[in-house]
Amino acid sequence: MEDQSKLNDQEEAPPFLGTWKRVYTYTLILHFIILCSLYFFFNQYA
Amino acid sequence: MELNTLDWIVMLSTLFGIVGYGVWKTRSVNNVKSFLLGDKDLKWWTIGLSIMATQASAITFLSTPGKAFQDGMGFAQFYFGMPIAMVIICVFFLPIYYKLNVYTAYEYLERRFDLKTRMFTALLFLISRGLAAGITIFAPAIIMSSILGWPLEQTNLFIGILVIIYTVAGGTKAVSVTQKQQMIVILTGMFIAAGMIIYKLPADIQFTDALQISGKLDKLEIINFKFDLTEKYTIWTGLLAGVFLFLSYFGTDQSQVQRYLSGKSLNESRLGLIFNGIIKGPMQVFILFVGILVFVFFQFNKAPIHFNPGNVEAVYASPNAVAFQSLEAAYDVVFEEKQAAIRVFNASEENSIDYTSSLAMVKTLDQQEKDLRNEAKALISQTDENLDTEDGDYIFINFILNYMPIGLIGLLLAVIFSAAMSSTASELNALATTTMVDFYQRAFKSDESDKHYLVMSRVFTVAWGCVALFFAMIASLFDNLIEAVNIIGSLFYGTILGIFLTAFFLKQVKGNAVFVAAIITETVIVCIYAFTPIAFLWLNLIGGILVLILALLIQQLMGNNESDPMLDSSTT
Repeated sequence: MEDQSKLNDQEEAPPFLGTWKRVYTYTLILHFIILCSLYFFFNQYA
Repeated sequence: MELNTLDWIVMLSTLFGIVGYGVWKTRSVNNVKSFLLGDKDLKWWTIGLSIMATQASAITFLSTPGKAFQDGMGFAQFYFGMPIAMVIICVFFLPIYYKLNVYTAYEYLERRFDLKTRMFTALLFLISRGLAAGITIFAPAIIMSSILGWPLEQTNLFIGILVIIYTVAGGTKAVSVTQKQQMIVILTGMFIAAGMIIYKLPADIQFTDALQISGKLDKLEIINFKFDLTEKYTIWTGLLAGVFLFLSYFGTDQSQVQRYLSGKSLNESRLGLIFNGIIKGPMQVFILFVGILVFVFFQFNKAPIHFNPGNVEAVYASPNAVAFQSLEAAYDVVFEEKQAAIRVFNASEENSIDYTSSLAMVKTLDQQEKDLRNEAKALISQTDENLDTEDGDYIFINFILNYMPIGLIGLLLAVIFSAAMSSTASELNALATTTMVDFYQRAFKSDESDKHYLVMSRVFTVAWGCVALFFAMIASLFDNLIEAVNIIGSLFYGTILGIFLTAFFLKQVKGNAVFVAAIITETVIVCIYAFTPIAFLWLNLIGGILVLILALLIQQLMGNNESDPMLDSSTT
């Protein structure tokens, strides 16, 4: 994936969080939080 | 059932308003790049909404609440892998598409492998998406015609022709700008519907009571941790197989790739995909939850024993009418007893004797109700074995037409038609683009004027519109329409994704090896679907991995004699 890393080096920074790596990490963390919240919310009635 | 004049006005003005807006907004489209890629000026929120609108067809809004009504919230797990897939696409797929400045995802495959791999993959896309476009039109049409008595062919034509008009006029940009309006109508309509259902619950039933009742009747089990290859919706199908499905759908299906390739920049496209990844799952949970609310509503308002009125009419006109009526009478008695038991359960203290006994009674009566529904289905089958007894797709529309106020019915019908139009438009646009770029321009007429390609792009859009309408006219109702679309996708997506993953990650594999691997894999996938009980979502994962392994093995056997087109093009 050499081409890939070159492309990533050249790209613009995202409008928030500084780097795309951080955006992706926070996206996945947020997703995990959403899943846990859904599970615990519905599970209390199940 | 007759629609009120106000509903007609609301529905038609919403639909024609959106179509008119799309045509007016894109009146300046006068070159092929603008027609196929828009003016590459879309912001991330338009891209995100457009991606969501492309995936959410009318089937989503008709089938999903019905699925929750019958099986609970478990279907939500199907979407759990989506944010993971979005991140992978942002990291690996998007930068390459942008760098190579492609019109279609398949163009990249020729640069990486060869022409035959590009065309084979594009062909798989055309077959699967062409069929799916037919179902996208047919699904709401069959349900509307059955419930409202509209003629099926004319309803198909109404949806198809409206879509063709603005897709032909404005191409990609018309699709994206109308999808933004359509998503606004869809989300507004669904929120109002949810609010109305809560408002229409009996005065002594609060929102939390509704959750309590549906929870005790096993409707709120949102995550199933059981690992079973034959179960359709578990956390594992969502997180493993689902990721592969969404990687393939969002990363390689032209109807989605075209949405984010029309973004203003790589950043805007990435943000659009991330926005979709975060919002889509909760949106599906919300639509399922509307189905749960409909379920609770029908605990206090008598639902029909069978939701497809066409089937009920057929039984009434047959010698089975008396038996069916006695089932309905038994169903009425069970409904009254169950309603009383639910009220006792709701009013009693948790863990008290009343609570335990009334809960047991509710569960027993719920089972009896299910048994009676199944007996009604058996009677329908006995009347005419060609009748489809699955009525899940009819539940939500039945509720809308019978219990929503005048005016709102028109808006919710506009929601269903808007959803049908938004996904069909993306499909026609992508089918025309792939036919134009990957076949016509590449193999037949590579040196024509821009005007010629623009005219031909419009001709292909109309042609694919006619093909989709043809499939819609001859389609028959599957068990569940949303599943039918996902099954068709899963038969091809694994192979398509495998080809792309090989392109990205296995640099040593060349065109001949991946081409043979893809053909073997597609054959194996069709056989697995036809002859084994493995749930269809796993086909995406199996197909993707099989292409990777076979391509690697075949390349080893073939040796390394083939030239590398990417290397060749960069050195000439």
